[in-house]
Amino acid sequence: MTDRAPPPNDNGFVPLDLDQLREMARINRIDVADMFAAAGNGHYGSCYSCTEIMTALYFSVMRVDSRNPERPDRDRFIFSKAHAAPTLYSALIRRGFLPEEWIPEYETKVGVKLMTHQSRRYQPGVDASGGALGHGLSVGAGMAVAAKFDRSDHRVYVLLGDGELHEGSIWEAAAFAPKHKLDNLVAIVDRNRLSVDGRVDEVLPLEPLADRWKSFGWDVAEVDGHDLEALVKVLDVPRIGGSGKPLVVIAHTVKGRGVSFMEDVRSWHFDVISPQQDAALRLELSEPLK
Amino acid sequence: MSLLDDPKRLGEHVADFRARHPKKPMRQEFGAIMLALAERRPDVFAVTADLMYATGLVEFGARFPDRLVNVGIAEQNMIGVAAGLGGAGKLPVVCGYAAFIALRAVEQVKVDCAYNETKVILAGLSSGLTYGVGGPTHQTYEDLATLRAMPNTIVIVPNDTVQAALAMDAAVEHPGNTPIYLRLGRGPEHVLTKPGDPFRIGRANRLCDGDDVCLVANGALTFEAYLAADILRGEGIAAEVLDMHTVKPIDREAILDAAGRVDAMVVAEEHSRSGGLGAAVLEVLEDGHDFPVARIGLEDEYPPIGPMPDLRHALGLSGEAIARRARLLLDRKRSRRGR
Repeated sequence: MTDRAPPPNDNGFVPLDLDQLREMARINRIDVADMFAAAGNGHYGSCYSCTEIMTALYFSVMRVDSRNPERPDRDRFIFSKAHAAPTLYSALIRRGFLPEEWIPEYETKVGVKLMTHQSRRYQPGVDASGGALGHGLSVGAGMAVAAKFDRSDHRVYVLLGDGELHEGSIWEAAAFAPKHKLDNLVAIVDRNRLSVDGRVDEVLPLEPLADRWKSFGWDVAEVDGHDLEALVKVLDVPRIGGSGKPLVVIAHTVKGRGVSFMEDVRSWHFDVISPQQDAALRLELSEPLK
Repeated sequence: MSLLDDPKRLGEHVADFRARHPKKPMRQEFGAIMLALAERRPDVFAVTADLMYATGLVEFGARFPDRLVNVGIAEQNMIGVAAGLGGAGKLPVVCGYAAFIALRAVEQVKVDCAYNETKVILAGLSSGLTYGVGGPTHQTYEDLATLRAMPNTIVIVPNDTVQAALAMDAAVEHPGNTPIYLRLGRGPEHVLTKPGDPFRIGRANRLCDGDDVCLVANGALTFEAYLAADILRGEGIAAEVLDMHTVKPIDREAILDAAGRVDAMVVAEEHSRSGGLGAAVLEVLEDGHDFPVARIGLEDEYPPIGPMPDLRHALGLSGEAIARRARLLLDRKRSRRGR
């Protein structure tokens, strides 16, 4: 990984090596915990399942430029499962898009800049406001169509929750992207297998999930969604000369990953944390995850 | 006997008035508008949900295949894809039916376009009753209420095909990162507008001057209000007609100016009486007014089966009905004043 050239004109950013990525993932979890501590609650489980995905994208894979957040050839990131936006805020803060001072203000009073779901209105570096599920893949597909039309080499990443795949609109977009040969579009499914009410597949079955996407005309990759090395490899799709098909990465994750008492526990989708729990969380997150 | 009280003479008068104002169909004219737009603006994309034929885009598609995005029968995706195109610097024009833009995909309009500050032109054809015998699933009388209540939207109801072209030009030139909804009809409608007529978003056009009553209308009902003013002239009543093509932002100045002069106001629209133009006018007058305001629109019930334009007229959306209502308001108001 370290021998990869930095993406051109990317504000001089050098992609992190594997150890640095692991440390950045740890920092991301702490930033998220700091935001939720300020608010008194948060979507811990939903955030910690996609920490490594976000870290791989923003610290190795994507071409973004904090000095010019709207530069036309930047890679786009559409956070469709937007209730985990604090992971994005951390990435944008650590990449220099947003000030660190915003962390302790998170959701604390009228007029602050950070809330549960990301918003282009307040946060430079955000490519699409979100919150309502089922929207992001369509928006990303539209951006990917424009990129193809403009013959630009940038890529569009869309992060979906697995529960979000219950939304019919996702499958409208899933049918659309292969028709337009959007090999510049990468959908990532955070397959943590839990939604608000329980096991995703008990609430409404998704399996056989990979076959579903294949049957819609997508390339499908399955990956351990906490394996940074594997994530970087699979997400860094060719800028030109791709397969002619959009790619979905089914990232097998653990909701609440990194904090033992949160891992795979339904109620930590969104919950209030006690001071004792917060202290235990910080102890567990004092070292990068193995 | 006055014209309004003489059915035979009124019928002849109205038929003659209508005959003097030829009709043009929206679908074909809209296709021509889009084609001309694509020719002059290389950033324009048409986005449709299997309504290429229905919105007159066949030639557009033949000439600019890369700029016609047909998403299939998937309206949520249609709006999302359009928002993505808009976010990438293109000028997407969603070409669909009003019901499927403003109701089926209303959350995508809110979140992906309005809240997300993305300019997308939403051309909703077959609005109001204009689908006629398609029935309530294809008629749309709720769109002004949904889209008007949403922050960061512009809502325009052109009165005919010529004004639709002027409105499209104004929408294209508008600098805001805002979805702009053009509420359009379907079949042939009377044409009032001339190609060089003024059109400014948020600025009503005064079609007739008069200080007795002000008739406010938009869409196809503008012609009916214009007809009503003609009928009222025969009754000795001078009616101002305001073509309130922009429902949001509404032209407060024009309404308050009329409010300072007239003894009554009648608002006519092909929309529910809740939440549409009539409601918007009353919102402007909420600080007080000393004259009656009648809202002519669709009642809180699904319309009966019927072809257009007979269905429209049967539901009281006609020049004759507007004129009667105006005369009634004025008679009441003036008899009270006389007491």
